[in-house]
Parts: sequence; structure tokens; C-alpha cells
Amino acid sequence: MIGRNAARDDAAPPGARGRWIAGRALTYAVLLAAVALVLLPIYWMAITSLKLPREIYRVPSLWPQTITFNNYRILFEDKDFVLAIRNSLIVSFAVTLISVFISSLAAYSMVRFRYRFRGLFGRVILFAYLTPTSLLFIPLSILMARLGLGNSLHGLILVYLTFSLPLSTWLLQGYFRSVPRELEEQGMIDGLSRFGALFRIVVPLSAPGIAAVSIFTFTGAWNELLLALVLITSESQRTAPLALNYLITSDVLPWGPLMAGAVVSSLPLMILYFVAQHYMVQGMTAGSVKG
Amino acid sequence: MSQAPTPLTSRPAGLAAARQAAGRRRWSAATQDRVFAYALVAPALLLILGLVAYPFFYAIYVSFTNRVVGNDGEWIGLGNFRYLAQSAAFSSAIWNTVILVVASDALKLSIGLGLALLVNQRFPARGLFRSFLMLPWAMPAFVAYLTWRVLYQPIGGGLNLILTGTGIYSGIIDWLGQRATAMPAVIAASVWRGFPFWFVSILAALQTIPAELYEAARIDGATAWQRFRHVTFPAIRPVLIVVTLLSSIWTANSFESVWLLTQGGPSDATMIFPVLAYYGMQTQRLGEAAAVSVAMLPVLAILVLVATALMQKDDEA
Repeated sequence: MIGRNAARDDAAPPGARGRWIAGRALTYAVLLAAVALVLLPIYWMAITSLKLPREIYRVPSLWPQTITFNNYRILFEDKDFVLAIRNSLIVSFAVTLISVFISSLAAYSMVRFRYRFRGLFGRVILFAYLTPTSLLFIPLSILMARLGLGNSLHGLILVYLTFSLPLSTWLLQGYFRSVPRELEEQGMIDGLSRFGALFRIVVPLSAPGIAAVSIFTFTGAWNELLLALVLITSESQRTAPLALNYLITSDVLPWGPLMAGAVVSSLPLMILYFVAQHYMVQGMTAGSVKG
Repeated sequence: MSQAPTPLTSRPAGLAAARQAAGRRRWSAATQDRVFAYALVAPALLLILGLVAYPFFYAIYVSFTNRVVGNDGEWIGLGNFRYLAQSAAFSSAIWNTVILVVASDALKLSIGLGLALLVNQRFPARGLFRSFLMLPWAMPAFVAYLTWRVLYQPIGGGLNLILTGTGIYSGIIDWLGQRATAMPAVIAASVWRGFPFWFVSILAALQTIPAELYEAARIDGATAWQRFRHVTFPAIRPVLIVVTLLSSIWTANSFESVWLLTQGGPSDATMIFPVLAYYGMQTQRLGEAAAVSVAMLPVLAILVLVATALMQKDDEA
């Protein structure tokens, strides 16, 4: 059952070989079943978004009899989902840019310099990362109202820094640590300033890490629901998760358009995942990223 | 990597010259470095203090007041907590949160560990299996829970359709609408979405175990269970502890799962802390709502402190 030794079993006596084949067959059977369970909801989401209402409600089936894009049309034309996607894109890009920039400064400082409160700062950042939004949403809503930033994308961008900044600082520290100090010192001898060393040497050499951190920050902002629910009150400022949330709080559940919205809001991230998988999985295990 | 600058001068001499040049300015090189270091952390630190630390303590303060929307209220001591202690919804929230966390963690551990052990073997297409098993993690949480909600629908939901189609059960089950099945349904969805994090973390730890250890155990005649108990388990234990802590923190605070599936219903059967706090806020009683989230703080604080200590130790090692 434990790996690595499998190849060696090839040379084992016939009885052991039979057992090896049985074990291998069982492995594939269990993994295929697991993959089927993983894919089932994704498949259901996709086909529901392509079904006619009568097929969803009256004669439900495992695959659509007639494929229709009507749900997508309703979502984009009647429900104004384009606006929600646009708002989500603005917020997510802004949060990513701001927090990756600010946190790369902070991470660099904590990795390269030795100073008195460095350990404390590191701990504060980890605390902040682990402090759940459910504890902060009430005071943050009071704070944003006081700052006149309630019900605005600017306010949303600001509060999303509560989880994106600690996360990206924490992850970037790990990536920066792997850049040899000698390269920077050499660069500085060649005339670079400290800033120059950071942006011309450390940042380019950590590019895969920065890409992974950017993706995590982006998806974190893209997926956020609770703070958006609390802060945004007008329809024109809704993000994608918020728009879909309001679809299910109406009396009749418009499943077709709802699943069309689910497909549209997850497709870009799933594609991104398959492209950048290697870096993302590395970052996830190194820095414990919930996703 | 390839674009690394090649040395032009011998390093020690050049560095000394640079330091000397710096020393002739107003501050010594060491002071300059220190000022620069603090200046770089300052923006991140100020934002975190303003957006996390201040609201954190402010939440605690508000929980001791009878603040409502539009009126700052006054200090009422433990009033909110006394009120919560007598509220049925609050005691439901305590139990449901505990059940959700313990059941999800246990299931994610078993599934994540089992699959990680399987994928850790050498066989064709293992990379492909790993990619597919990770998919729920790449899916936005709100999309995952909305999709599960549709799957759970009594009429036309995929789950009932499969049960009737395969002849396992022919009745119609309203998974999210009845007390007996609502919580298991929430747990199942949360496990679906959360197990990949366990799976990949455990798999990464398994891959650091040198094959020689298994070799040696095998030569000593260890059984598969003994090999797991004495080689595999000690190697993955640190990861299991950190993952359990993080997963507990995240599950106890996962607003989306319960909100998008059941909104806490039916009749509080799936009510958990974050959802209850959100309801409190919707009724505009901010003091009470804050008290709900602050009430779980003692347990949460222990989890966070231990997790932080372990993660920081890991990080510096």
C-alpha cells in the first residue's frame, strides 16, 4: 500500500505479483470513483446551465435533451450580470495590485534585514492572516460607514486588504528567502540602490512566486461574499458572488441562470488553475492557502 | 537562474568600498538600513493595524455595548452575553459549529489521507488524478455551494435523480429542507470543497519521506500497518496538526457554506456562529451581533495561537 516500493514488486514471486495487480486495480478503482464524485457537481453545474426550464423542473435528466444558451442570455440581459463581473474584475485587480506591491516591500524588509521587532511583525501578519472575516465584518462595516466608504467599490477594495495583505506578505517571505543574498549584494556593488536590488533582482527571480501570490490574492477577492453582502447595498455596485446570492434569495430559484452565472464566474479560475497548477500547488502547500 | 548578474569585481573589496561610501553620508550604513527596513514594512503594518487589529478590538468593545445602527449605545457589561446564553439560536449555533467542524475535519482527514497514500504510489497518470482531485479547491467557494444547493433540490436535483435512477431509493428527499438531513448535507458539501487542501498538504509531506526508510522497515519485516505507524505517520504528523488547526478555524468561520445552502435553517438546524452574527447585524442590533462573534473568540484564539506558533517555527526552520 505504501508507495515507492511498487516497482520492486515486479521481481517478486508469482503470488505477490497477483496481489500487486489486484492492489493496482483497486487503486485505480478508488481513484476513478473519487474523481467521479469530484466531477459530478461540476458536470451538474454545466448541464443545468444549458437546460431548458421544463427540463430542469419537470423531466429532469442526467443530460440535456436540448441544449440552449437561453440561461446565459437571461443572465446577461435581464440580470445585468455583465456589470457584476465588471465590478468583480475592478475590485480583484485593484486588490491584487495594491496588496502585492505593498506586501513585497514588507516581505523584503522582513527577509533581508535584522531588526528588533522583525519577529513581532511576522507574528502580527500571521495573526492577521488567521483572523476570520466573520469576526471583523461588523466593526469593518461601522468603520467604512464612518469613512464614507460604505456601498462603494473603493470601500470593498480597502476591506479586502484585511485578508489579502497578510496572505501575500506571508507567502512572499517564503519566495524572497530563496533568492541568494549574494546576488543582491553584487547588484548593489554594480550600482543598484536597495530599491533597485528589490525590483531588478529579487522580484524578477521570484517571478513564479509572485505570479502564484497574485493568483491567490485575485481569487480571494473574486470569491469573497460576506463583506460584500454587508457593505454593498445598491445593485450597481454588486460583485459576481453578491449578484448570484441575490438570485437565490428570491422566491423562485432561477436555476438555469444561476448555474450559468456559476459557470461564468468559475471558468476563468479553473482554466487558470490548469495552466498555473504547478506554482499554485507549491504555494498552497508552502503557505497554507485555503483557496 | 540564468539571468543572474555575473560578478564584475571581487565581492569583499567592493562591498567594503560601498559601505565606506555610505558611511561618509549623514547616517551610518547600519542606521540607513534600519530606517529603510522600517519604511518598507510601514505601509503593510499600518494597513493591518487599521484594518485588522483596530476592528478586532473594536468588535470586542462593541460586544459590551447595546449599540444599534444609528445609535452608538452605552456600556452594558456582560448584558449581551447574558442574553445570548438564554437564546435557543445561540446554543444551536454552538452545537452546530462543533458538529460541523469535528465531522468535516474527520472526513477530510480520512479522505485526504487515503487519497494521498494512493496517489503517492508510482503509476501511470497519477499526475492527472492529482489535478482532477484538486479541482474543488480551484472552484470558488460560492460557486461550489450554489451548485450543491441545486444538486440537493428535492425535485430535479441531481442527487435524488441519481438515487431513483440507480434504484437505491425511490422517494423524494428534501435534503436541505428537513432537520435530519440538513446538517449532513452541509457537511458533505463542505468536505467536497475542503478535502483537496488536506490531500495536497499530506501528499507533499509523504513525498519528503526517503524511500530508504521503507526499504529498511521492509528488511526488518515490518507489516504495511507497522510501516505506516512507524515511518509514514511520524513524518506527516506536523503537517496533520497544522492542517487540522487551519481547517478548524476556516470551517468554524465559513459563512458561505451555510448561508448559500440553508441560511441556517430549517429552524436553526444548521445555524453556525458567522451566520447568526450576520442575522444579528441584519436586525441592526450591532452590540448583540458583535457579541455572537466575540463569544467564539476564546476557542478561536487558542487555535490561532497554536497554529501561528507552529507555522512560524516551520517557516524559520
